[in-house]
Amino acid sequence: MGREVAESCVDSLLTEMVSTYCHRFYANKPELAARRIEAIGYQVGHQLSERFVFRYTMERPRFTDHLEAIKFICKDFWSELFKKQIDNLKTNHRGTFVLQDNRFRWLTRMSVDPQNESQDNSADGENKAAQATSMHLYFPCGIIRGALSNLGIPCAVSADISNLPACSFVVRIKA
Amino acid sequence: MIVCVAVVGHQNNPLYIQSFTEADDALKLHHIVHCSLDVVDERVNNPRKSGPTLNETFLGLLYPTENYKVYGYLTNTKVKFIMVTTDLDVRDADVRSFFRRFHAAYVDAVSNPFHVPEQKLQYQVKAIDDCSLQTIVDYCHLSCILDGI
Repeated sequence: MGREVAESCVDSLLTEMVSTYCHRFYANKPELAARRIEAIGYQVGHQLSERFVFRYTMERPRFTDHLEAIKFICKDFWSELFKKQIDNLKTNHRGTFVLQDNRFRWLTRMSVDPQNESQDNSADGENKAAQATSMHLYFPCGIIRGALSNLGIPCAVSADISNLPACSFVVRIKA
Repeated sequence: MIVCVAVVGHQNNPLYIQSFTEADDALKLHHIVHCSLDVVDERVNNPRKSGPTLNETFLGLLYPTENYKVYGYLTNTKVKFIMVTTDLDVRDADVRSFFRRFHAAYVDAVSNPFHVPEQKLQYQVKAIDDCSLQTIVDYCHLSCILDGI
């Protein structure tokens, strides 16, 4: 029994959630808004991973190390969520992983408003746009952190936007 | 007959325990489940070095007692499922299929948006969980009886 939700609904929900937390609940405290959004993502990731892990382990053995769990996030988990795998995975073999997605689905419809940019001086406008975009990335960061912590890997996740819609997530595993 | 099933969290905290006997032996079954946790730890810390069952979720027969057999299952999320049965000749395939269904029921239960992670399943998801679990246990009994014929 597969029940699906239109992608545009999820997009709208995400946008609305971010704007509600940033402009209504915690208008003057962006750090607090970010923490709240990340916490919602954490719970979503925690519960989603339970289901995706169940599908994954139907015919495969359990994970033996961190790398296998991260690979699961990059391949199976990402495919279930975004219909594509992570494009590039880098690691320093000391607990830091960089997951790069060249076309992150939740950023594909995001752009910088050109009018806004011409009114402000360009550096300021760019800064504002970057800040708004990074607000939208706390949710997926929370999802990754929730999924990994459910797999028994406590970690911190941050996101990094180089050029839209590419984005990379940095996972630092806590020893 | 399956007399008891239990779900144990990753810190060995009981999340769900349900017995299916008429007799008043809940304490004894709790004790059996509690003892099996040591066996699960032992299996996980000293895994078999090779073979097809390496790191499988299904842990197999944990230990037999005089009247019961105890089976275990460990998920990737470090949640343990324990099943106690009185049947003395049980096929591994049957137990595997039981645990698969049980795992599916557990996933459905924790996917409830009102479920708080690490909290006992008894409270907010009782209705869903009980009814599907009863179905699974009934199904397994039925298939065992049919196998007997």
